Amino acid sequence: MTQRMFICRCEDVTVAEVDHAIGIGLESVEEIKRYTGLGTGPCQGKECTVALVHLLLDRGRITASAVQPFTARPPAEPVTLAELASLAELTGPAELAAPAELASPAGEAPPSGATP
Amino acid sequence: MIGADSLLRAREPSALAGARRLTVFYDERPIPASDADTVTSALLGVGVVATGRSLKYRRPRGPYCLQGDCGTCLVRIDGVPNHRACTTPVRDGMRVERQNRVLAGGPDPTALVDRLFASNIDHHHFMVRPKLVNRMMQDVARNLAGLGTLPDLPAAAVRPMEHRPQVLVVGAGRSGLAATARLRAAGLEVECLDRFDARWSTPTAQAVRWETPVFGIYPAEGVIAAIGGTADDRTLHTFRPSHVLIATGARDVMVPVPNNDLPGVFAARGLLGLLTRTDTALNCPTIVVGAPAVAQPLAARLGASFVAVDDVQAILGGSRVEAIATSSGKREAGCVALAARPAPVSELARQAGAEVVWMDAGFAVARDELGRCGQGPWTLWACGEACGVTADVAADDGLRVADNILAAVRSRPDRGPR
Amino acid sequence: MSPRPTLGSRGVALPAACDVAIVGGGVMGLATAYHLSQVSRLRVVVLERSYLVSGASGRNGGGVRMQWGDEGNVRIMMESIEICRGLTQELGINLWFRQGGYLFVARTEAGEARLIRNAELHRAIGAPTRLMSAEEARELVPDLEVSGIRLAAFNAEDGVVFPWPFVWGYAGQAIRRGVVVRTHTAAIAAEPDGSGMRLRLSTGEHLRAQIVVNATGAWSHDLNRSLGIALPNRPHRHEILSTEPLKPFLNPLVVDLQSGLYFSQSTRGEVVAGITVPGGHDDGTVVDQRSSLRFLAHLGANLVALMPRLGALKVLRQWAGPYDVSPDGEAIVGPTPGIPALLQVCGFTGHGFMMAPAVGRILANYIAHQQRHPMLERWDPARFAGGATLRREDMIIG
Ligand SMILES: Cc1cc2nc3c(=O)[nH]c(=O)nc-3n(C[C@H](O)[C@H](O)[C@H](O)COP(=O)(O)OP(=O)(O)OC[C@H]3O[C@@H](n4cnc5c(N)ncnc54)[C@H](O)[C@@H]3O)c2cc1C
Ligand code: FES
Repeated sequence: MTQRMFICRCEDVTVAEVDHAIGIGLESVEEIKRYTGLGTGPCQGKECTVALVHLLLDRGRITASAVQPFTARPPAEPVTLAELASLAELTGPAELAAPAELASPAGEAPPSGATP
Repeated sequence: MIGADSLLRAREPSALAGARRLTVFYDERPIPASDADTVTSALLGVGVVATGRSLKYRRPRGPYCLQGDCGTCLVRIDGVPNHRACTTPVRDGMRVERQNRVLAGGPDPTALVDRLFASNIDHHHFMVRPKLVNRMMQDVARNLAGLGTLPDLPAAAVRPMEHRPQVLVVGAGRSGLAATARLRAAGLEVECLDRFDARWSTPTAQAVRWETPVFGIYPAEGVIAAIGGTADDRTLHTFRPSHVLIATGARDVMVPVPNNDLPGVFAARGLLGLLTRTDTALNCPTIVVGAPAVAQPLAARLGASFVAVDDVQAILGGSRVEAIATSSGKREAGCVALAARPAPVSELARQAGAEVVWMDAGFAVARDELGRCGQGPWTLWACGEACGVTADVAADDGLRVADNILAAVRSRPDRGPR
Repeated sequence: MSPRPTLGSRGVALPAACDVAIVGGGVMGLATAYHLSQVSRLRVVVLERSYLVSGASGRNGGGVRMQWGDEGNVRIMMESIEICRGLTQELGINLWFRQGGYLFVARTEAGEARLIRNAELHRAIGAPTRLMSAEEARELVPDLEVSGIRLAAFNAEDGVVFPWPFVWGYAGQAIRRGVVVRTHTAAIAAEPDGSGMRLRLSTGEHLRAQIVVNATGAWSHDLNRSLGIALPNRPHRHEILSTEPLKPFLNPLVVDLQSGLYFSQSTRGEVVAGITVPGGHDDGTVVDQRSSLRFLAHLGANLVALMPRLGALKVLRQWAGPYDVSPDGEAIVGPTPGIPALLQVCGFTGHGFMMAPAVGRILANYIAHQQRHPMLERWDPARFAGGATLRREDMIIG
């Protein structure tokens, strides 16, 4: 067995591979995800994101105050196509609220200073 | 190999005769199991640790997190690929098959990949030229990629069900349960969901929809979706609440040490949870690896020994863990438990539009002093470990946020469920 | 080791002036930059607001086909696919281009007529499209539910690629040839500067260029508006998903003409599937990349109806990206009316990725050598001035 240290076991991404990506100039979580494939397997980043951030902090590539994880995309849990299909009649055609409607719903003040 | 050193045993040998009454089939060989078992605990009980192969280096892989997060325990169950073995309860007669093997029996020739490519495989620049070689490489890669094969049969239909509670609590851990109890006591109509069954949580009198994971929060559509029920009677729930409380807790994450992917390496908290739920005990020498403050208490609870992560040179083994190499020599182990600080679980909060902040153990949900973290078709709240609060005070945090939700509901009595 | 940026970075120094400034580091901008570096000695700078592959070029399905309804588009795609055949070696990066073909299925009389008409056109110009019965289609895709299918069309030269390395490959080679690729830097304003233009950047820097190329895809509307330019292309949200990876079982990309559903299997084994959800919200001016549950439901229902065995597959993730839609479904490429120093290369709806290899070359030859490819007339940004335009292409999916 070759000795390897993994950050992402789903896609077989090692610490050395992340260092290589850093070496060619990639520095953000989103970029390294795409270049190495980290976080794109069955766990969708649940297991590896934190270890990646620790590594990037350690390598001085990011700052703790600014770092963000990659976009959380549904589904967060396994769900099948047939299960989703059961909603087809219930939901009807897509009608998303306009982005503005979400930001400030009528009569409800947005939470103030939503950072601790 | 079945019959090779088993990693787990029943805690009460006398209970064995009574409890071990189910049979599951692993690659057609019968395996005894109890009704407390998950597929993973049953397999570990007969010494099966590796259940698949990794995608690139073709290394043997087995379960790690033991709580449905990491996705490397995937097996085919009753003709359907990619089931999480660690969270699937056994059923009598269940057919479990390993995936991603090139040949049905005997050694896997692709295991050589790991040795042949001792440095890293850079898949972007691997065998790019000449064209003919590149084309052959692509064909090989395509056949080695992928987990599992097509399902045997079309899937059964499921029922959709709509709910309009006043409050939806996502997660029935300490903080979620405490909040649910407080809100219900005040007369609110509350739905509380959890991805696991009751054995994973604190005992509670509260009604919880167990085994009903929320998979998507869609603020633009004002809907939250969860999938629940037993294997052959599934329901797709949609919720349109006025308040959503995210109480998704924290999870184990990966600790980078050499060969941290070997079958038999587990997340320490996950392992502890598995022993509790399935009423089993460790049956092999076990070493907990981590920072002392986190790992030592876990080692004590597991009855295992402890090695500081900085002392670990590598985990050693072939198809499973055999030992670890430390700065002071080699130590035998059948099982290595990696202990990181639990990381807040924030995916659903982020889907709902909440911000997160880095808090060293992970990304915690950012909230205001009342516990609010977003406003849309509902008011979004968060409590407990998901916000970076430690487990010992999570329940109190849940109560505090529940009181703030109550105050918000009472100040706007006209606003019922949408 | 200090970073050796081979894919563009925020740290790379910008010159004060260059010959061509390309705004937008998607596949269009970078393919153009790469070809410029090959056919000219022009000094080229690419500005990308975020990271490479952050736009539509990092969010698409990677479908590449010559089965179009209009001769010009078929020919462009024959050119593109010819380039793709050797592009992995040319760019030195694995693109995972796999020619498994595109299989179109028609369930209506109108759809059937379209496939027949296309097949005749394709035959006349040498594209190997073949009509086939539902039963033959099932031989290609064994688990297809063919009961409602009247006719199918298959072209074995069509295929799929993995989009990200495509973009990095163009960037990497362009950088090697002296192109400056600066990420995390947006062009926020532009003003005339002699015969060229002067760009103001989000970093506070300025860049002068003889020619500026607007390669910002669905964001081009924003950039144009800030310059007072009114072109009719608009962003449109398109959703897509991928499933857990399985061993190879599906060779072609399958398209249902009636529902607009398409699905293929990537080299990694994931089923990648998209569909346009009827009646989706779009206010038409801002790029909206949110995912919806309705998309999952609509896609699930259509996919399970067409291939029931896929019903038990789990969805791995869903996402959305912007199509850049023009009123006539044709791209917008060439000098901007009234501002000849500003070239547009946008309006590619859901097929800009596959056209980029050809378009990058065409645009580079136009910039460097004033060569006018026949399609440039059709793609002329000035064509909208006269009012209503003719929609010729009726094989736009999704
Ligand atoms: C879901 C989906 C599926 C698709 N499927 C296919 C398919 O199967 N086949 C196919 O051929 N096509 C497909 N397409 C279409 C294809 O992706 C696009 O046509 C193509 O990627 C457009 O490339 P681009 O470079 O023009 O745009 P983009 O890739 O969007 O690049 C534009 C870039 O400009 C940057 N930018 C914006 N404003 C500024 C500024 N002011 N300054 C600097 N930079 C700026 C953006 O960040 C972005 O990176 C699909 C699209 C989507 C969304
Ligand atoms: S998901 Fe089963 S062990 Fe991690």
